[in-house]
Amino acid sequence: MQSSLHIKNLTLYQQGQLLLKLNEQVNGGDILTIMGPSGSGKSSLLNWLTGTLGNDFSAKGEVCLNGQNINNLPAHLRHIGVLYQDALLFSHLTVAGNIAFAMPKGEKKQRKQKIEQALEQVGLAGLGERHPDNLSGGQQARVALLRMLLSDPKAILLDEPFSKLDTQLRVDTRKLVFDLIREYKLPAIMVTHDINDAEAAQGKIITLQSQDHLKGNS
Amino acid sequence: MTQDAKPDLFTQIVKFSPRFLLAILILPVFGGLIGVLLPAFGWAPALNHYNLSFTGFSDLWQTAGIGKMITLSIATGLVSTLLAFVITLMMLAAFFNSPWLQRIQRLLSPILVIPHAAAAIAVGFLITPSGMVSRFISPWFTGWELAPNGIFPHDSYGISIILGLTLKELPFLLLMALTVLAQPELGKKLRQQHKVALNFGYCPMTAFFKVVLPSLYPLLRLPVLAVLAYASASVEMPLILGPNTPPTLAVAIMHWFSDVDLNLRIKASAGALLQLLVTGGLLAIWIGAEKTIKYLFSDLLTNGKREYGDVIWHKITAVVTTLLIGFILLALIGLVMWSVAGFWRFPAIVPEQFILSHFQSALMQMEEPLINSAVIGLMTTVLAIVLTLLCLEAEQLSGKNLSGFISLVIYLPLLVPSIAFLFGLVWFQQLVNNQSAFINVAFTHLLFVLPYVFLSLTSSYRQLDPRFAQVAASLGAPPIKVFFKVKLPQLFAPILIAAALGLAISFGQYLPTLLAGGGRISTITTEAVTLANGASRRTSAVYAIIQMALPLIGFIIAWLLPKYFFKKARI
Repeated sequence: MQSSLHIKNLTLYQQGQLLLKLNEQVNGGDILTIMGPSGSGKSSLLNWLTGTLGNDFSAKGEVCLNGQNINNLPAHLRHIGVLYQDALLFSHLTVAGNIAFAMPKGEKKQRKQKIEQALEQVGLAGLGERHPDNLSGGQQARVALLRMLLSDPKAILLDEPFSKLDTQLRVDTRKLVFDLIREYKLPAIMVTHDINDAEAAQGKIITLQSQDHLKGNS
Repeated sequence: MTQDAKPDLFTQIVKFSPRFLLAILILPVFGGLIGVLLPAFGWAPALNHYNLSFTGFSDLWQTAGIGKMITLSIATGLVSTLLAFVITLMMLAAFFNSPWLQRIQRLLSPILVIPHAAAAIAVGFLITPSGMVSRFISPWFTGWELAPNGIFPHDSYGISIILGLTLKELPFLLLMALTVLAQPELGKKLRQQHKVALNFGYCPMTAFFKVVLPSLYPLLRLPVLAVLAYASASVEMPLILGPNTPPTLAVAIMHWFSDVDLNLRIKASAGALLQLLVTGGLLAIWIGAEKTIKYLFSDLLTNGKREYGDVIWHKITAVVTTLLIGFILLALIGLVMWSVAGFWRFPAIVPEQFILSHFQSALMQMEEPLINSAVIGLMTTVLAIVLTLLCLEAEQLSGKNLSGFISLVIYLPLLVPSIAFLFGLVWFQQLVNNQSAFINVAFTHLLFVLPYVFLSLTSSYRQLDPRFAQVAASLGAPPIKVFFKVKLPQLFAPILIAAALGLAISFGQYLPTLLAGGGRISTITTEAVTLANGASRRTSAVYAIIQMALPLIGFIIAWLLPKYFFKKARI
């Protein structure tokens, strides 16, 4: 069965004021890009999807993952992987430890093998026992990506994941992320400021309007 | 600063202040330890003992029940610290991302400023056979028409002590943890990492223990050790809640030191050394256990298991939290009722009459202790704040944080059991200045007030935006002007809070006041402890309430003043 993430008739309110409306379906391997100025509700949309919407906000609508309504599930039962701006690697664990943390339970040896293979696949072979704080920004981003993918997510959210990388690194990392999303055939939603990110995703692009006309910053 | 520019006086004072701080903390503590060490080995000029001997130690070993004393000290210290620590962690884990954490903290934070003696009195009232707990379950459940014979408080197992210490230390540990989590960068990172773990399917409590705790614990270690050191050697709690035959080691030492038979001082000094070993041993055990747990559980962190009965643990935590808060509320309500109770028959939950005569008669005798408490508290707190501000300014002028050594030394008076160094310190104080007991008491209080004031001000000072100072300096303001006109006004609110905290700590000091004052300086706290064992329950309740009210007034002022000033500034 092809996997899909379906947002049905979502309306998001901030303190009673309409923030955004959305009705979209994303199929496995596709990347939906959401653009828009800050304050337009991009992060709130992601928070709603992961089940961590703040108290100021309210929402109507449904989200279905592979046909199953996950609206009422708590954050930790939704199986939605998120890649943030920062790598957010756990500094009390090694690189391999970080990935193992995210992987499902299993036989120790098999998990270890899988981690080694994955590290090799993204050009980080042999770095498993290193401490994440000693890695370069690009290496950290790749570990965060592996960690997220090996957690067996059913859908992926990208929260401006490349915005802290410099230009060349950004292009390479972006390509790697998009390639892997297609390889794993997972539905993905990306939030970004950068039109280059949006174009590289080769999917549908939705631009949200700022609701806060007073601020009006980009 | 260029090399040829001669620093002004202010800068010189500021640069010198950290060394002064070190001296003021290290000298009394180590001096005091030496002053206890020498008599322990038989060298006590005041008693005409000049020969090295071990009679102090052999006397100590022959004391009836010494083994029990040691066991009681170890058990109450370790169990209460462990309980407070574990419950703190459970609360943090269960309510990590919930508004309840702030609410619980707000409910518990008044406990922080309640002196140990007052807390002990309140807990004692609650669990005594005719206390609120047994009134609530009588006679419908127990069938008691008269107050039964119970073992609480003063039970020989130390359960009452453990209860009192746990209730008092838990809010402190919780506050310390929340202070760490309130650090802008670290706090944000830990909350985001917790969210990442949730995205990976980890249950919230498991996520806390596997992701947040390993980064949080190193920053909690010193406060936890301070709590352990305090709990193993405290005097007020065991004095009011503990057994007498035999008492905890610290209480026994205090009795020997204050005995009319001066020869007991040799034994007392030996006992102080033993106390040092007991506390040191407990700290070592804690650190050892910590390393063992870290080693044993390191594999568990990455085994991928996402759930360890989280739902049940969450419920247990909620129940424990509710019980705890209910227990504290009941203790406070009971205390207030005792202070205004007229005739109060046993199983009745409320007194039959309410009268104010206990307050009236107590207040009449309270003038001197009240004034002493206030004057000593103010002197100490002002000194502590000035010294702290200078040290923090020195840190900013030199552009690097105070060394780890200084940070550890600031904790020194909290880590070394006060019973072990205070007697030696008092001995030195009497050599140097036996005229004014008042100054001696204030100086001794400073040792215990400084650490708290320092901890309370540090984070606000370090979070000041350095650009304000840079702008002022570029406009030609000398360092002294930047300090007084730019930095201090921004720190108005934190300084007031630190002052209120300093006052609260000073108000609560029992042993330092008793010893440094040679029994001649009475404060509300020394009176309250004296009255707790003997005087009527109603008078005792009044003193405990006054003890709680004093620091509370301080905090209310600290909270209101900035609102008043800033309101004016805005208009």
